[in-house]
Amino acid sequence: MFAEIMAIIIFVGMFALIVLDRFPKQFVTLGCGVLTIVFVFVLGMHNYEAILETLAVGNIFTPSFWYAAGDASEATCGVNWATIIFLFGMMVMVEGMAEAKFFDWLCMKIAKIMGYDPIRIFVAFMILSALLAMFIDSITVILFLAAVTIKLARMLKFNPVPCILSEIFCANLGGSATMCGDPPNIIIGTSLGYSFIDFLVNTGAMAQVSLIFVIIYFYITMSKKIQSPEDKVDPATIDIDVAIEDLGEFAASTVIFLGAIILLITHAMTGLTVATIGVFVASVTLLAAGKKAPKLLKRVDYETLLFFIGLFIVVGGLEQTGVLELIANFIAEISGGNAKIMIAIILWISAIASAFVDNIPFAATMIPIIQSLAATTGVPLDTMAWTLAVGTDIGGSATPIGASANVVGIATAGKEGYPIGWGAYCKELAPATIIVLIVSMISIYLRYF
Amino acid sequence: MAQFIIALGREYGSGGHEIATKLSERLGIPLYDRNMLDQMAEKNGINSENLHQFDEKSRLHGLTRTVRGHSSSAQDHVAQIQFDFIRGKAEEGESFIIVGRCGEQVLKGYKGLVTIFVRGDEDVKAERICRLYHLSDKEARMKMHNHDKKRKAYHNSHSQIKWGDSRAYDLLVNSSKLGIDATTDFIESYVRECIARNED
Repeated sequence: MFAEIMAIIIFVGMFALIVLDRFPKQFVTLGCGVLTIVFVFVLGMHNYEAILETLAVGNIFTPSFWYAAGDASEATCGVNWATIIFLFGMMVMVEGMAEAKFFDWLCMKIAKIMGYDPIRIFVAFMILSALLAMFIDSITVILFLAAVTIKLARMLKFNPVPCILSEIFCANLGGSATMCGDPPNIIIGTSLGYSFIDFLVNTGAMAQVSLIFVIIYFYITMSKKIQSPEDKVDPATIDIDVAIEDLGEFAASTVIFLGAIILLITHAMTGLTVATIGVFVASVTLLAAGKKAPKLLKRVDYETLLFFIGLFIVVGGLEQTGVLELIANFIAEISGGNAKIMIAIILWISAIASAFVDNIPFAATMIPIIQSLAATTGVPLDTMAWTLAVGTDIGGSATPIGASANVVGIATAGKEGYPIGWGAYCKELAPATIIVLIVSMISIYLRYF
Repeated sequence: MAQFIIALGREYGSGGHEIATKLSERLGIPLYDRNMLDQMAEKNGINSENLHQFDEKSRLHGLTRTVRGHSSSAQDHVAQIQFDFIRGKAEEGESFIIVGRCGEQVLKGYKGLVTIFVRGDEDVKAERICRLYHLSDKEARMKMHNHDKKRKAYHNSHSQIKWGDSRAYDLLVNSSKLGIDATTDFIESYVRECIARNED
């Protein structure tokens, strides 16, 4: 009992500290991870095997970690090293692309193709945001899109806030479409053994339908707030240089990016795991970067990777002590075994929780719960996995603190003198979140029942 | 004349802002307060109220998140814009008065900086607020309490030294003792002496 109580106290404390945002989040999860090892595994369970299982370092040295012929999946218990290694690889690749000015070039090129018309840019950047976020982390997507939007707004005299808000939303939506789009999806995919294509044809299809609804919704609600007719600037007077600075560097980063996409799309066929793809992509990027390699490595977001490690240990504590099983039983009980109610609970609870707390720890906690639910109630695990992915990815859009892309977009705008408060944010994006959740729920009901 | 900057903090109702305005006129230097945001609003073509609503307010704890050093707090962003603004003015060599906005901390280290905090007696401050805003004594005290609470939270979230802590200021004065005009005279003579010594 002591172990269970300690696991819950540490988990709740970790969440509270993350929400309070007083300390760097990686210190919070790592500190709580150490507490879990000491109080849950050693003092509570007297189980040293559980520590090894949770740290899961041994997994890295097994062939199936790097090459999986079938539907092999990472051990769901403990640290999901595949996620961490894959994220590291993608971070290195994205830094290489940023160094080559890939994103600046792409954004400015599209603005030019759109004839520097603010409304066309508004719509085009929504689509661009969703497409890029399918393959690249949404923080990077928004970091560049928001900066370019502000640059264009000053030149073309339009209000960048509606554009940035719509870009944030579409980045989160695009991220839900693929296995590598949003960290919860990577965790779900690697833990439950789903492929890139599995995500694309399930959450991807839902995201595609939702994107159409969202573009129409944002066009109706926000397009009139972008520019007053009297501020219209003649596009002919705009002169922006969209030339590529270093063609070799640019070509290399583009080829690596396309290669990564191909590897991800085909990984179910090739048997290469996401960890292998991560290592490959990072290695090629660093080789291509040459002397700039240390610079790229320095820029990698190690804080997030450490945050993941600590988080997995804390969730491992909950799992080892059987607390998550109790939660799963509770969900099964209140839904009365009705699959549709269960799906609705998972979708809306995931979305509401993700709107206020980091969706990564929430998703990591929910995975063992849905596994347990699938085993005890017979509701297909796949359906619950897609529901969990959509709920956590989309729910995060509802508030300024729900997802990393929101924070970065708001910060980029705020630093340039366009502050976005809770009121302004939620007024525009909370209804859109509800629309997408309803569309997704209907899609799930129609497709899987 | 060598550059000098006055960073003046104040309690609500103490007349600190009025004193700063008079000093600005007497010394012939610009005064920066919330007007900094009007310039930013004009540059960005937005309504200045969009910025003022977050002025001198602390972040909402529990409703703010930080990702890779980026904060979601609009209050933090507006504060940072103002800090950058006054740092820019200081770098350009301009002499000016900055009211509030953690000026004494943000500009710490500038040679010509004079830091002042104006406080006041509760009753005198309440009476002044009643007179200026046509409020009852109870309403005035509530307004005073709320404003000071916000200023304190704002200041302390951006500064290691607490708001009104004597160690952060060169001069800490109670405006209720001499009244607004005489306190202004007193501060002016103090500032002029500082300027003179700084030039020597």
